[in-house]
Amino acid sequence: MPRLTKEILDKSLERFKVERDWFNDNLEATRQMPGEEFELNAMLLEILLNAKQKVIDAAYNDEPFIGGYFCNAPELFTSMDLPWMMVLETPFLAASAPYILDDIEGAEEMGLLGDMCTAIRLPIYYIENNMMPIPTCCLGLLYPCDGAPMLHQVLMHNSNWTNVPIYSCDPPYTSDERAVNYFAEELKEMTKFIETHTGRKRDMDKLVEVCERSNQVYTIWQEYMELRRHKPCPHGWEVGGAQCFAISQCFTVGDPKSVAWFEKLITVAEKRIKDGKGAQDIEGWKENCRIFWFDIMPYGWVFEFMPWLEEELGVVLVNDMFGNFPYTLIDTSSEETIYHDLAKRNLVDAPMIRQARGTAENFAYDIKKNIKDYNIDCVIWPGHMGHKDGAATVGIMREACREMDTPFLHIGLDLFDKRYTSIDEVKDKVATFLQGMGFI
Amino acid sequence: METKIQSEAFQTFIDVSGSLMNYEIQTWLDKGGKVAGHFCSTVPEEIIMAAGYMPFRMRGTGSTDTELADAYFSPINCSFPRHVMNQALKGEFKFLDALLCINACDHVRRIYDNWVRYAKDINETTFETVMSLPRKCGERQVDWYYDEINILRDQLAKHTGVEITDDKIREAIKLNNQARSVQKELYELRKADNPPITGAETLVAIVAGTAMPKERYIELMRQLIDDLKDAEGNTGYKARIMIVGGELDDPEYVNVIEDQGGLVVTDSNCFGSRLFWVNVDEEVKDPVRALARYYIYERPTCPRTYGSQPERMKFTRDLAKEFNVDGIIGERLLYCDSWLVEHYMTKFDLKEHNVGVPFLALDREYVLSGKGQIKTRVQAFLETMES
Repeated sequence: MPRLTKEILDKSLERFKVERDWFNDNLEATRQMPGEEFELNAMLLEILLNAKQKVIDAAYNDEPFIGGYFCNAPELFTSMDLPWMMVLETPFLAASAPYILDDIEGAEEMGLLGDMCTAIRLPIYYIENNMMPIPTCCLGLLYPCDGAPMLHQVLMHNSNWTNVPIYSCDPPYTSDERAVNYFAEELKEMTKFIETHTGRKRDMDKLVEVCERSNQVYTIWQEYMELRRHKPCPHGWEVGGAQCFAISQCFTVGDPKSVAWFEKLITVAEKRIKDGKGAQDIEGWKENCRIFWFDIMPYGWVFEFMPWLEEELGVVLVNDMFGNFPYTLIDTSSEETIYHDLAKRNLVDAPMIRQARGTAENFAYDIKKNIKDYNIDCVIWPGHMGHKDGAATVGIMREACREMDTPFLHIGLDLFDKRYTSIDEVKDKVATFLQGMGFI
Repeated sequence: METKIQSEAFQTFIDVSGSLMNYEIQTWLDKGGKVAGHFCSTVPEEIIMAAGYMPFRMRGTGSTDTELADAYFSPINCSFPRHVMNQALKGEFKFLDALLCINACDHVRRIYDNWVRYAKDINETTFETVMSLPRKCGERQVDWYYDEINILRDQLAKHTGVEITDDKIREAIKLNNQARSVQKELYELRKADNPPITGAETLVAIVAGTAMPKERYIELMRQLIDDLKDAEGNTGYKARIMIVGGELDDPEYVNVIEDQGGLVVTDSNCFGSRLFWVNVDEEVKDPVRALARYYIYERPTCPRTYGSQPERMKFTRDLAKEFNVDGIIGERLLYCDSWLVEHYMTKFDLKEHNVGVPFLALDREYVLSGKGQIKTRVQAFLETMES
């Protein structure tokens, strides 16, 4: 007997299919565009679409698929050949979703008010209104913020999800060996949970293969980040950076297609450096200022902001929190080393979990390291309304910048809702700051 | 604070809860004692006491603005840590020798980071730490917290030079259990049709228990309970109210509700029933193991604990029934994601399970503001129960 009635199943996939179709159209359009950067974008879209289609197929065929969070060691369930999606995926595709503002209003009408992180209240809205695929089982993560466990609790509370078993890994607040070992045990238990609820068995050879390919991806990523140190930076906000995170652990992991994408990324970046090109090909354009955007990009209105910043002002996003590279490669010599290193990668290295979980050291450390490694001229902390622990760290971040003699800007905005602080206001704040500092 | 209660003990509680530094702390200090501040009710006070400290639950009482703290926190941060930090930056916690923080919530956990950098020297604390409290409540989490408690025990022993023996911990557990028992006894009085103590007065008595030596507190609580046994009860109220929420140490907020005719008869709050509804098991051989179990899963949880929403809901429902509650007010400090979603689920569950108790979500700032709005909303809420 199918897990879900046809009515519930169809409704749960409706929005997901709209997004797939939108990205499909986008892929077709991208394929028509000339240039290697568009080829890279097309490859990325193919990977994303493949992941989405696998989930849709699994749902319709009543085959197992996973509802994941982020940073919960996707190598483990990928090696079991399980399709997966992230339960908080849509807000990050928001710039592609014309309905996002209506959805935010819907969330507010439910009582999920404007002081709650939009990246959390939107998935709650989708769950409560059956607008998200209902997986066979769900894997949560109880950091980086207070919103994460609440989102998972709503999953458990919703009647359509009552029969969806959920296992949430509990990252400790510390980052030492004891913490890594504890988290490794959590991942082992997660593996057993997946086996129990999907019927798939872990195959160590397959896991080793996925981890080794994942290592290959991370190695090339690290190499690529070296190229972003170059002045002018060969790529800006649009290519590389956060895309690397998406393609290494959000839409796929340990995938030959990811390896191919990263290899092409290197080739393209090297060519740009050799040709003396910066992030833009506009005639007369020059790199005026190199910024470290210390958060997620403003995905809800990214196309209305980032091109302005880069094309008009010559301000290049050289790195951001999700492009940041502190990763551990997995030692695949034994089961113990694999789990240990997966735990370390997902507990200590992965973005947001690295900074927002635990004491504030990594906020200051990452700022200083990025300023030094990438010749950063100024640091922007966007001040997303949901990132409350970061909001309580602004003084520490400011001080880190002061020690490096680098200007720091704290804006205050919603990365997904352009009405929170209007785009004009954000632009005005940024432009005033950059002018004041003499960069533009 | 205005009160009808004729009790010297209660007058002491008013003094103790109405400020940070108080006469009871001063007396303790004068005798050579030391005070350790801590955040959240999940930091094991028993270890603090076994190390010879008097535990002090951190508050921002007396704060009127956040001007100094605003250099380190943002406007989207909860006003509780901002007011506490402001008090710290003014040096209002000079009576503390140590500060024990915990990863309670996204706002409060950052006090540790800011304190060690910007407030430590001002307040002259000589020991600071932050504990790692799991968000789940299974046996692995008990083991983790068991180690955390032992780490704290070692750190405090090293810092103070006091040997923290199992016997000292057992003694502290026993004393804290006695305090919990008298607090529960006070709540029992509120089950009456005409309770001799209001919700605001109860909050005063509970807050006082976090800011004075336990022995003295237990003695005064016993006096208060005796004094209340012959006291005239509260009559003429429109409805019996339960408050559910997080950090609430300001009796004035409760007063505003009670002034409209809603007598607060019970709660599930951080400075309320969740502190004392369950005792630590004194029979467990290893007292640290007993504490780890207690703080991880035996005591009632708050929404930061994942997976126990059904148990929290049951706790709320049971208390509502026991205390014959007519309506529940869900209080929340603005910018708290945890309680926002928890209240959303509570409201749904009360309706879904036909509990027959209406629910009102009532946001607030740490230092009471917008009294008029609170009054209007409470009045409207009480009217729905009258009709």
